[in-house]
Amino acid sequence: MIALYVVAAIAVFAAIRVIVEKNTGRKLPYANVLGFAVSGAVVLLIDHPLALVAAAAYFVGSTLESNAIASTYAGGVKR
Amino acid sequence: MLDEILHIMAAAIISWILFVTVDIFFKLPETGGVSGASAIARDIEAGGGALSGGTMMGNIVCSPDASAGTLLAACGVYVAGIPGGLAAAVMVYVGNRICHDPGYAGTTGAVLATFVVYAFTLAGFAATDFIAGMVIAILTIQGLSHVHASRLLARLWRVRQ
Repeated sequence: MIALYVVAAIAVFAAIRVIVEKNTGRKLPYANVLGFAVSGAVVLLIDHPLALVAAAAYFVGSTLESNAIASTYAGGVKR
Repeated sequence: MLDEILHIMAAAIISWILFVTVDIFFKLPETGGVSGASAIARDIEAGGGALSGGTMMGNIVCSPDASAGTLLAACGVYVAGIPGGLAAAVMVYVGNRICHDPGYAGTTGAVLATFVVYAFTLAGFAATDFIAGMVIAILTIQGLSHVHASRLLARLWRVRQ
């Protein structure tokens, strides 16, 4: 039970830091922490075997989004 | 209640050592796997951090690495024991390929973490301790101070070299 509160508190903390940080490059590591915390919370909240798949899908999806934002921020694909 | 807090703290330290060791072994601080990782590294360096530590942090953001592997393996062990952890490793492997990451840090980390977490569940820990522990561990690297975290990672990277 405490594990869930810890994870939820870290998710809120990371979300606030994402909002407060102005630099896009430095925003993304905070968003990464948020992804970790939400994935953990999904498994802790949902008492079902498929919660693992949901958490992994959410995590990989959010990582891919960060990857895309960072690559675009870096200048995108050079043609 | 106090027991659970102590277990979470211990799990955080174990997860931290596990994922930093695997990531540094797989040379994450060396080069950015994708251009976005290098861009994050440059911004962290511009803010006063170290470039190699920033590169590792950028790589962690851009693709599931050993830290993601540890988190999902702990989730897998919580849901279904060792088979759950190994299923998580397969999902991390797929995630790596989706994110254009040629490395195996995430998959290796997930397989290692599966057995570590399972061993600790036999010693009185709960898999949930490792889920919260891993979230605390990633918070210390990515969510508190990028300057200090990147310098610490750069120092560990110099030891590896």
